[in-house]
Amino acid sequence: MFDTERELKETRINLCLDCGKCTVVCPVAQHDPEFNPRLIAQRRLSQSRNRPNDESIWSCINCYMCVERCNYHVKFPEFIQIVRAEAISEGVQPQCSHGGALQSLMHLMARKELKQDRLGWLPKDIELSEPCDTIFFVGCAPYFDIVFSDLGVNTLEGVKGALRLLNRAQVPFNILANERCCGRDLLLQGDREGFLTLASANMEEFARHGVKKIITNCPEGYYTLKIEYPRFLGSMDIEVTHLIEVIAPLLQSGELNVGSMKQKVTYHDPCTLGRCLRIFDQPRQIMGALQGLELVEMEQNREKSLCCGASPWVHCGAVNREIQEERLAQAEATGADILVTACPKCQIHLKCAQKRGDGRASQIEIQDLAYLAARSLD
Amino acid sequence: MNKTAPNIIIFTCNWDGLSSIEAASQAGYCYPSSVKMVRVSCLSRIHRGLIIKAFELGADGVMLLGCEPGNCHFETDAGLIEQEYENARSLLKLLGLREERLILAHIPQGDGYGFMTQLTCFITELEQMRPALPVRA
Repeated sequence: MFDTERELKETRINLCLDCGKCTVVCPVAQHDPEFNPRLIAQRRLSQSRNRPNDESIWSCINCYMCVERCNYHVKFPEFIQIVRAEAISEGVQPQCSHGGALQSLMHLMARKELKQDRLGWLPKDIELSEPCDTIFFVGCAPYFDIVFSDLGVNTLEGVKGALRLLNRAQVPFNILANERCCGRDLLLQGDREGFLTLASANMEEFARHGVKKIITNCPEGYYTLKIEYPRFLGSMDIEVTHLIEVIAPLLQSGELNVGSMKQKVTYHDPCTLGRCLRIFDQPRQIMGALQGLELVEMEQNREKSLCCGASPWVHCGAVNREIQEERLAQAEATGADILVTACPKCQIHLKCAQKRGDGRASQIEIQDLAYLAARSLD
Repeated sequence: MNKTAPNIIIFTCNWDGLSSIEAASQAGYCYPSSVKMVRVSCLSRIHRGLIIKAFELGADGVMLLGCEPGNCHFETDAGLIEQEYENARSLLKLLGLREERLILAHIPQGDGYGFMTQLTCFITELEQMRPALPVRA
């Protein structure tokens, strides 16, 4: 079904010069000497028929730091996806974090008979436009808030903030009652079949409601709907945009005004939104529009931003925890009151280090960008 | 076997839970073969991932069968299963499956009749619901 050799060629992995720059910048390699992107590529590309099962392929966190540094822009994270898909087709089972709950939820969401009851959180003051060919894609936030309730995760606050901002900007939108997970994590962990089932179910749902435009607040969902869906399912006639791309220009032109907030914050660029989709300026423009807000940058920011240590819910371990603690220490060093991020998964992973770590991690407050901006509206 | 009998997974603890199932079989009670047991050393071993996995694999209902409060064999039952139970129920609700598909039963040691009463009620309840999310062939 998939032309592996063609896909491998598209990742430009055959251009790898063996220079090792990827390993130098890779946050996983810095904490785990066993992890070496260059050698993973070498092992896969060697023609030996009986390749041993390479455990280290599951440690990549898809942060795109290597792509940023590589002189030939070898797409190593996409290469890893292919290698993982191969491993899964050979019967290897990745070690699922959180007891496999998220994988099971994604597989259950792929079922045709699914009729979710997922809008119970929707506040009464949010105005939905019906019928409307623009939808807001909520993503997995309702599920995250339950699965990670013990971490004090509240990703729905970010979604509610996003909806309030859209209401204030008078952008009409509707929400689908039965949208599914975008499937990004299944794709990243190599479960292509699961991803395709979810993607097709979502596309059917979009077609049934005549969706022409999708706005989302989740970088992972944004990337998947905008880049991966057309890549796997062929071109689609739906415009996909991120909330930040909708709000930032309105703030710049003065069509939307947010309030003031006397606080010192630092911004954590999510890898998917930053290095992957090159959205660096707009989040800072939004924070710049908040009067009284002081934005201080961390030691590693923008293109060099350190990942939150996320993984597609597989093989999360001590190395991920060390990366998370390092990122939190960088945030603490800025002297900011709040660490602002624009990705629910960053929030989950950083809060996990705060709650479940050994107490070393900084306890800096973590908030979603949309929630922060919407808070100033009151 | 009745083809319409709901698929049920019972996660049972090795102590009072299992002893009540054994007492039921010794007393000659019968239940459908679509009821499957998974024996664990303590119900605290069970987490939301395993419960949701059972539904992913085609269960229509899941029963968590353990000792009565204060009677845990390991003495340190810290209410872990209650947290996981509540969490899994909330997830089932979001998925549009009814929360009643998951039950937590605390049974006294060797109470075969009590176990059968709970199970029969559960089967009847599940029969009145539409099937959960069936596994596609």
